[in-house]
Amino acid sequence: MQFLLVSAIFACSNAAWATGTAAGTVIDNMVTVNFDLSGVNTTQDSNTVTLTVLERLDVVVTLQSPQIVVAPGETNRSLLFTVTNTGNGNDELELFIDSTLTGDDFDPLPASPAIYFDTDASGDFTVGDLAYVQGGNDPQLAADESVDMLLVNDIPPAVVDGWFGRSELTATSTAGTGLPGETLAGLGDGGLDAVIGASGGTAAVFGEYLIGDVEISIQKSVVVSNPLGGTEPTVGATLNYTITVEVTNGGIATASVFSDPIPAFSTYVTSSILLNGGNLTDVIDVDAGELDTSGAPAVVVRLGDLTLADGVQTIEFQVTID
Amino acid sequence: MKTLANMTLIASTFFALAALAQEQGHLNVRTVVQKEEVTVNDSGETERNLVPTDTVVPGDDVIYTITFTNISDESAENIVITNPISENLTYVQGSAFGPGTVIEFSVDNGQSFAAPDELRVGINGETRPAQAEDFTHVRWTMQNELEAGAQGMARFRARLN
Repeated sequence: MQFLLVSAIFACSNAAWATGTAAGTVIDNMVTVNFDLSGVNTTQDSNTVTLTVLERLDVVVTLQSPQIVVAPGETNRSLLFTVTNTGNGNDELELFIDSTLTGDDFDPLPASPAIYFDTDASGDFTVGDLAYVQGGNDPQLAADESVDMLLVNDIPPAVVDGWFGRSELTATSTAGTGLPGETLAGLGDGGLDAVIGASGGTAAVFGEYLIGDVEISIQKSVVVSNPLGGTEPTVGATLNYTITVEVTNGGIATASVFSDPIPAFSTYVTSSILLNGGNLTDVIDVDAGELDTSGAPAVVVRLGDLTLADGVQTIEFQVTID
Repeated sequence: MKTLANMTLIASTFFALAALAQEQGHLNVRTVVQKEEVTVNDSGETERNLVPTDTVVPGDDVIYTITFTNISDESAENIVITNPISENLTYVQGSAFGPGTVIEFSVDNGQSFAAPDELRVGINGETRPAQAEDFTHVRWTMQNELEAGAQGMARFRARLN
């Protein structure tokens, strides 16, 4: 289903962003007239008129992130945008962030720097992403080309659940902006004039952060295997527990720890803890889990910072019935 | 006003030279390309004027006007004017105009011509009715002869892809 959805989006994009005839294209027109004069058939060509296609400056910014669920005081939370040159020539774009928009409940605090290229195409801010420097690495986009950019903001501490805050990315042609149809002499491709397109040569879109608790889905299931055959949970039968943990909204479950006591009248099966199919030792060491025997025995697995992007975490362990 | 007068003079000179170059054909055929300029006058009325242009951006409409003058001393008969439509341009539906002419279109690079509702184009072994963007040529066929000294005109509008 996800694949189908993505295909549909691309199909729409192509239709909406067709850039048109390339800047610099020359279009000649010559007419041919055929006629009879004194019974003699003659063909006569006209003069040739020439049109030169000028660069039309147009840019579109689209928000790719859903509303991002964040917690008070979180740092470096990013919003993903796509900047597309919908003009018909090469364009250089300057980028700006504005997190002080009206119409929201709080102002996100731009990180420093606050605009990044999504260098690793992860869709999220990560250490490998290159910072944008205005006038230093302004995106240079050919007609119809696009680039993914991130706005990175910190969330102020004094906010409450349900509040939302906006942050806006603006992309502006360095050739200039103006009213649609306005001509910028000599600033187009090849030194020809550029013409401001319907966008005015600039575009801006905002994304939103929502203060809210993270939502986690946990499911536990058990499969019984009886050494005498069948699945009766009698003495000596093995219970194979499978627990799935998943973040289902935009929040972060920080330093998540899974803990599940060994049921009464049962005994933990040595070395049976699995995290996503990988074995974890029973002792407390560098791996993510153990059998904690400091109190009543319990399986403990440290899942770290979980987000929607981490997907389903699967924990398994076994006990035998005493 | 002075500038306008000068431009008229230059234009006249150009036309005279063009006419001289094409005199041997016995028809003087000329094409111009223009844009429609929409302005609001002092009375608040919208005025549409055709102004010469040599530049265009995607989405713009341009208007091609063809004039043909019989500069021989005899009538010209069976006059057929053919204008190819650049692949970068799309004919604007219903825009072709030419007094006393039958207007037809081609969708096969000028091999054959017919009225718009008779044209079909093939896709994957099947055909569908032709659309304006399929047109490769527009053709005007004069119904009557053009007397010595008389002038005819043809016009169409196209949009830059």
